[in-house]
Parts: sequence; structure tokens; C-alpha cells
Amino acid sequence: MSKPVLELSGISKRFGAVQALSEVDLQVAPGEVVALLGDNGAGKSTLVKVIAGVNPADSGTIKWENHPVTISKPGDAQRLGIATIYQDLALCDNLDIVANLFLGSERTVLGTLDELEMERRAQTLLDSLSVKMPSLRVPVASLSGGQRQIIAIARSLLGDPKVVMLDEPTAALGVAQTAQVLDLIERLRDQGLGVVLISHNMADVRAVADRAAVLRLGRNAGDFPVQETSYEEIVAAITGAADNPVARRSGRVSVSGTEEE
Amino acid sequence: MSAPVGEAPVQRDGSGKPRTGRRVRQVRELGILLALVLLVAVTTLYNPGFLMAQNVRDLLLGATLLTILAVGQSMVLITRNVDLSVGSVLGLSAFAVGVLFVSFPGLPVPLAALAGVLVGTACGLVNGLLVAATRVPALVVTLGTLYIFRGIDHWWASGRQINAADMPPAFLGIGRATVLGLPVPALLALAVVLAAGWCLSSYRSGRELYAVGSDPHAARLAGIPVDRRVFIPFVVNGSLAGLAGVLYAARFGTVDATVGTGLELEVVAAAVVGGVAIFGGSGTVYGAALGALLLTTIGAALPVLRVDAFWQQAIVGLLILVAIGLDRLLALRTARRLRGGGSRGA
Repeated sequence: MSKPVLELSGISKRFGAVQALSEVDLQVAPGEVVALLGDNGAGKSTLVKVIAGVNPADSGTIKWENHPVTISKPGDAQRLGIATIYQDLALCDNLDIVANLFLGSERTVLGTLDELEMERRAQTLLDSLSVKMPSLRVPVASLSGGQRQIIAIARSLLGDPKVVMLDEPTAALGVAQTAQVLDLIERLRDQGLGVVLISHNMADVRAVADRAAVLRLGRNAGDFPVQETSYEEIVAAITGAADNPVARRSGRVSVSGTEEE
Repeated sequence: MSAPVGEAPVQRDGSGKPRTGRRVRQVRELGILLALVLLVAVTTLYNPGFLMAQNVRDLLLGATLLTILAVGQSMVLITRNVDLSVGSVLGLSAFAVGVLFVSFPGLPVPLAALAGVLVGTACGLVNGLLVAATRVPALVVTLGTLYIFRGIDHWWASGRQINAADMPPAFLGIGRATVLGLPVPALLALAVVLAAGWCLSSYRSGRELYAVGSDPHAARLAGIPVDRRVFIPFVVNGSLAGLAGVLYAARFGTVDATVGTGLELEVVAAAVVGGVAIFGGSGTVYGAALGALLLTTIGAALPVLRVDAFWQQAIVGLLILVAIGLDRLLALRTARRLRGGGSRGA
């Protein structure tokens, strides 16, 4: 594995009385897809928000390309080269694809919008991702869910990020559309980007992820190479199957048993 | 019913330039233009006098106020807000100009006109501040200011009426002057339409108005100052309503406290017929201006066609429904065509 571009260690985050994350570690290398897994409330989204600078960590260190950095606001993360695609997509339905891609960072000539340049760059970007859109000048409202997701991902790439974080990118998509998005994730990896993929869908994870980092109750619950790990092992880590009353009791009994002898 | 299987894709791939989105929008404005041409043609066939120069001049002059107001209203509508107070603002500005001429008989005309516009700007500032700062829905805020501004107007006028005799001839002349056969106010309205259209389509801030109206949350995430983008159109709209008030005073010469009453719904109707979506994010001021022209022409054509004036409002209502239905149909067709053509590629 090459040197990690992003390295988190000992990250803790507390909201009032709730310890959302405690001592969490995570590494992302260039050209690697890391699936971030965990049950509801395990701390996946909190961790993503820590990295994105939305909710800064209380303690712990973040290293970017081997240098310690602080990420205290979204701008910090963007400057480093961390792009986040949230679940709610954040696209403007009435604007066309080009306008959405460049929203907030429009190219201008003498103060007026440079539509040609933007359209050309949008085309280059989508071509580089092998994405085909019927037309760049249609409102995104008329695109399918998968196409919209692809536009949202493509938009985050305009800032030349090195790490892309995707929050449930396939949650609301059909089979074919999911395949399109997974293809795109693979292409991001092939371009040398580090990808953090939050997903509940184990099939997606097995399809594209290189590693699966599992969180459970705000702690690391395992880091598995996806290819060499069985579905059951990962699910067991997510649900804490090894950590249930029966297992605990049998553990206790066997321990006390050894003491007696 | 089902999408044709072999329908040619709208666009082969990247290199081509056909722009479905643009085309849809142009079709939309072309439709209103077509309706306008049809209406004028039928009316002229019925009564050739309809297209006489004097009549056309009157028509354009009549459409002036509505066009200016529709342009301002469109900018507000595009940000997913609405300004119902424009009728009252127009009335207040018209009366202010009249009072100025009564109090200072020697006042230069441009100064009085500027004062009228500024009265509108002040009203727009109030609306914009209330909507942007308190985040109360614009519908409620401007419904309130509709009555407040009208109340101020009534209190100020206290039953008084200002007549053409109180105003200098140079000022009243604005309403009658023509350049190359076209009334000056109509040219002014055209300038407003072109300037607003240029700003909306060519500047970042214009683009951002559409983004805000389309999805305020997404716009905020993209770093757009949403509150400012909501605020500015209200100020511009207020100023334009003020300008319309000045033109009203110049054209009719008689102002009292009831000027512009009930105008706000007509303005919203013109914008909606012109393809400006009431839910924000789409439409152009060109469309709104055409909508205003169409509504005015209907008003002028129906008496010529000997249609009972009673039907006029029903026809305007029908037009609004047709316009909205057409928008929906176009959106659905575009969506279906895209999904059919794009599913294998992307």
C-alpha cells in the first residue's frame, strides 16, 4: 500500500453527553477506495463531518500527506483537497448541467459569464470520467438519479481534490444507475484519488472497495481488506455479533472456569 | 404514450452543440409571441383599424407600466419570492411626484422623477429587509406592506386629488413624446427589459438568482450569499415600481390615493403567462415582458372583437392555466427524451 494521503489517529468527538467518536483511526491512500461501514449511529457521518471540517474534532491528529494539519472549517478541507458529496446532492434543479457544475465558481470574462469556456471545461471533465450526457444544457431536474449523482460527483472534482468522500451515493438509485455510479468511483480510483465511501449496501462495498473500515458505537471495530474477507465477518463487525450477551457470558464463564482450576 | 424507441438522441455526444435546454426556453417565449401574433392577426382581420399607427402607439403605451412591473416582479419570482406590494408602491410614488410638483412648482422634471423612483426604492428596501432578514415568507411580508403602503398613501392624500394642471407641461410631455414614432415610455420599458435580461443572463449575480430560487439550500452550500441575492431583487423591483409610478403620473396627469390598486395580481399574471415559474428558478424577463404585452393586447382586442368585457378576466385566467400546463408538458417531454436517450451512456 502506498503512503496514505490522509491519516487520522485518535479522533474523538463529543456532542454534549454523547460520545460520538472515541479514538478513531482511519487512513486513506491515493488510488484506494475505503468503505466506511457501520450501523446507524455508529459515527460514520460524524467522522465524515470531522474530515470535511463541518464539525471539527475535539481531539486527535489529522495528517495530510504526512504533515499534521488542522481542519476547523469546510474551507480548510477544500483547500487541502478534500471534496465531500453529501447525501442531499445540493444541485439546483432548474439550472443546466454546466451551470450546476460551476455554481459558485463561475468562469467570467470582463465580469460576464464565459459560457463557452465553462461548457468546454465541463465537457472535458465529463469526458475524462467517460461520462456521457445527452446534452449539457438541460436542467438537472430532467436527469435520472444516477446522472444527478454523477453530476454532483463531477462538480466536486473541479477543485482538483485528492480525496473524495461520498455519503451514501447509491442509496436512492436503481440497479443500472448504481452500476454507473460504481463505475465512476472506480474511475476516480484509477485516476489516483483516495475515495471514502459511506454505504449501507454490502454489494456495492464488495464491488468497488479495497478496504472496509468498520465503526461501531463510535470506535474502530475492524479494518478489513475486502477481497480477503467474507461477507459474514464484515457484518459481524458492524453488528458487533461477537459482542453480544451470549458471547460475553460464555467468555466470562470460560474465564472464571480457568480461574477455578 | 410510450417513448418512441428509435427516436434520435437530441445530441450525439460532447462535440455537438444543440442545446435542448435553451431550445425549450426559446420555444416557451416563441409560444407567447405566436399567441400575440395570432391575436393581432385575427383582430386585424376583423377590424383593419386595429393595426393603425395611433392604435399601436396606444397599445404600447398601455403595456409600458405592466411591462416594467413584470420585469421587476420576475426578478423577485425567480428567487422564489413574490412582491404583492407593487401596486401600492406605484401609487405611493405617483402621488409623491404629484405632491412634489404642487409643493415646489418650479421643480426640475428629472429631479421629481428621481424622487419618485427613490420612493419606490425605499419601499423595496423595506420589503427586502423584512424578507431577507426575518425570513418571513415574502407572500406574507408583501401582503402586509401592500396595505401599509396603501395606508400611507391614503393618509397622505386624505382625499386629495392632484390634476394635470398642477404638473408642468414638460413632465406631462413625457407621456406623449415619441421617438421614431414610438412612445418614449415604451422605449424606456424596452430599455428596462433589455438591461434586466442582460444582467440575468450574463452576470454571476444573475445566474445566482436562479440558483437561489431553484434550491436555496444548495445555493448556500455553493457559497452564494443567499440573503443578499433575495434582498437585491426586492430593491430593484421597488425602484422599477417607483419608475412606473412616475410614468403613470406623467401619462395620466391625475393621481389620487387609489392609483395602482389591484395591479399586483395582473403583474404576477403577466410574469406567469410569460413563463416565469411561481416556484422560482426559471423564466426570463423577456418572457414576462411578452406576457405583459399579450395581456394588454387582449384587453385592447376584445372590445374590437366585440367580446363582452366580462369575458376578459376569464380569458386571462384560462391563459394562465394554459401557460402552466404548457410548461409542465415541455418539462415532461424533455425529461422523457433525456432518460430514453441517456440511460445507456451515462
